[in-house]
Amino acid sequence: MANSARFDSREAVDFAIIGSGSAGGILAKELSTAGFDVVVFEQGPYRKAEDFTHDELSVLFRDELLGGGPDVNGQTFRSNENETAVSGWQAPARYAQTVGGSSVHFTANFWRLRPTDFKERSLLGPISGTNFADWPISYEELEPYYTRVDWEIGVSGAPGPFDAPRSRPFPMPPLPIKSSGVLLEKGAAALGLHAQPEPHAILSQAFNGRAPCMKCGYCMYYGCEVGAKSSTLAAMIPLAEASGHCEIRADSAVFRIETDNNGRASEVLYYDAAGNEQAQKAKAVIVSANGAETARLLLMSASEQHPDGLGNSSGFVGRNLMYNAHSAVDAVFEQPLNDYKGAQVSRIIHDFYETDEARGFYGGGGIDARPLWSATPIFHALLGMPPGVPRWGAEFKDTMAHNFTRQMSIIGSTTSLALDSNNITLDPKNTDKWERPSIRVTYRDHEDDLSVAKFLRDRSTELADAAGASKFWRHPVEPTNGGEHLLGTCRMGDDPASSVVDRYHRSHDVPNLFICDGSSMVTSGRGQPTMTIMALAFRAAAHIKAAAASNQI
Amino acid sequence: MKNNKVSRRQFLKSSSALTGASLLRISAPSMIAITQAACTAKRAQAAYKVLTVKEAADFAAIAARIIPTTDTPGATEAGVIHFFDNAFAAEMSKALSSARAGLAEFNAALTGPYPGASGFPALPTDEQDAFLTSRESSQFFDLCRAMTIFGFFSMSKYGGNKDHMSWDLIGFEGRHGAWEYPFGYYDAEHAKERFRGE
Repeated sequence: MANSARFDSREAVDFAIIGSGSAGGILAKELSTAGFDVVVFEQGPYRKAEDFTHDELSVLFRDELLGGGPDVNGQTFRSNENETAVSGWQAPARYAQTVGGSSVHFTANFWRLRPTDFKERSLLGPISGTNFADWPISYEELEPYYTRVDWEIGVSGAPGPFDAPRSRPFPMPPLPIKSSGVLLEKGAAALGLHAQPEPHAILSQAFNGRAPCMKCGYCMYYGCEVGAKSSTLAAMIPLAEASGHCEIRADSAVFRIETDNNGRASEVLYYDAAGNEQAQKAKAVIVSANGAETARLLLMSASEQHPDGLGNSSGFVGRNLMYNAHSAVDAVFEQPLNDYKGAQVSRIIHDFYETDEARGFYGGGGIDARPLWSATPIFHALLGMPPGVPRWGAEFKDTMAHNFTRQMSIIGSTTSLALDSNNITLDPKNTDKWERPSIRVTYRDHEDDLSVAKFLRDRSTELADAAGASKFWRHPVEPTNGGEHLLGTCRMGDDPASSVVDRYHRSHDVPNLFICDGSSMVTSGRGQPTMTIMALAFRAAAHIKAAAASNQI
Repeated sequence: MKNNKVSRRQFLKSSSALTGASLLRISAPSMIAITQAACTAKRAQAAYKVLTVKEAADFAAIAARIIPTTDTPGATEAGVIHFFDNAFAAEMSKALSSARAGLAEFNAALTGPYPGASGFPALPTDEQDAFLTSRESSQFFDLCRAMTIFGFFSMSKYGGNKDHMSWDLIGFEGRHGAWEYPFGYYDAEHAKERFRGE
């Protein structure tokens, strides 16, 4: 980019934004196009659309876009604080390290929250032993920003029977229905349920100078090589750079936010691409590093004035991690679905979204149909086999050859309750490749979360049967031991004693520190958080711009 | 400001693509992963980088039972052994000695039930299958199975999956990359019904 800015690290820029993902990319675009000087720190490299591949081995099994696995990042997991956390075969907090962050590799399922999501605590009453709470903002306050996401990021979809009210229609029609969607519709119709088109952050038509989806099928965990997936890399960062006020500083891993004698954030310390320590002065700092990295960075930035971590007088930094639990039923049909073509999901069922007290537990969720482990061959061979099929030999081979094109999964995704005991802390021993303390995850789903997953699995089983599957099988519902949805760890709220940021994403403790990403979420929604993270970022940007313009930062 | 620098060893450990215990983690978590031994699919008679001819014959014979040749091609035709060789020559180089130890133990165990056999490849396939079944719970078997699957189904540039034959086998037209709707039987039928006005 000819206009892309370069700033002197010794001169304070208006904003240092840590993280270039769903929230950071939007904040960068909004603030830079308003004339503020912005440096965006991204620990991963600056990959462009043409750098993304269909290499399953590298992307799914070498964690290419994640910057490596637990051997590199040292992440550890335990299910309660009495255990010693250990590294497993897969990192417990999974996010892309690349410009655009996880908006680059996400599956692009794109649900709004509903009005009830913001006030469930008031509607349903307290849940003992949890930090279940209302949001400080309402759906109505966020709706204009959801609409901005629709029209500025680029969203395809059509209204469903239970959708939250929207002030403008979808800018593009939905992506075409796949065989998995047709079969989900068939099952839903037989059971009196309502399948609806999946909204996607994927372009179904050319939009804002960007090419539409070519239906290659490599969405989940892959970057889009034509820029049709509405990542911030595709939709926001080019606009930020073109403003002449935004520098994307890739390969730059922040390890500390310094504060000055007045308790204000003053400087961002980071390692550059060669591993050398650098510093960038800034008038204000915005942390949008995701629910795991944001919490880690604040905990690492402890100082005399902020002994428990920057902005952590409440003790809520890192707490209330919410993953969304999941369930899976696999189904094989007589004829080929070829579901590896096109975006993962084309139809969803939201009949069970709301909490129904008659079920006996809090929460709800969504159901979708997708290829999942029939999207690519290695995944299929390792994870997609029906029970009872040998692990090797002619029957194994024949089953793969027959099922790969005929198989789909029906997936449930659930609410997660906010708990003190589910959290991000600094691992006492492990470090990542930059020698920062590794992320330690402590997590055990609330029983209600697992009850929702089992409930959705039972409904998914009925759907597979009603859709006419020739064979279907259920995966066990087990406690969540990792995931991509990293929510709730710096929640927003009006009370500084029980939240980290205020309703405008400003730290209760540090006036020129803002935090906006999945960590801001007070409740988990039903499993597709990115739309909400992006809407929060547009809203936060509007308030930050106004505050800066009136000299209130 | 402190003048720190991340230790070179720690930083280099992960700043290249040559990292990741993740490749084999699903079935053999202790094994170091394979990385890109960027290399085009080779002919079966091509020389090996690190494996001896005897080792290659043993691994190839094991792979040939994991994904056998039937009326359709299997691990042998796909050249999966070249994936093994490339992997052991590159990122799995540290695992080569333990893989060799596993193979030696495998061959030593073979002399129990088959004292006169000149090696696993020389056994009839039903005896190969019976012996492999007896080794199925070993880490060595898991390693061979995982590497066979990765070699068979990964991109040809890694050494196996010659001419995309594994993708053809399962009906995965993955090399084309872009598709037109309808994709499968049920969405095509659905489109016809809609065209007829249902």
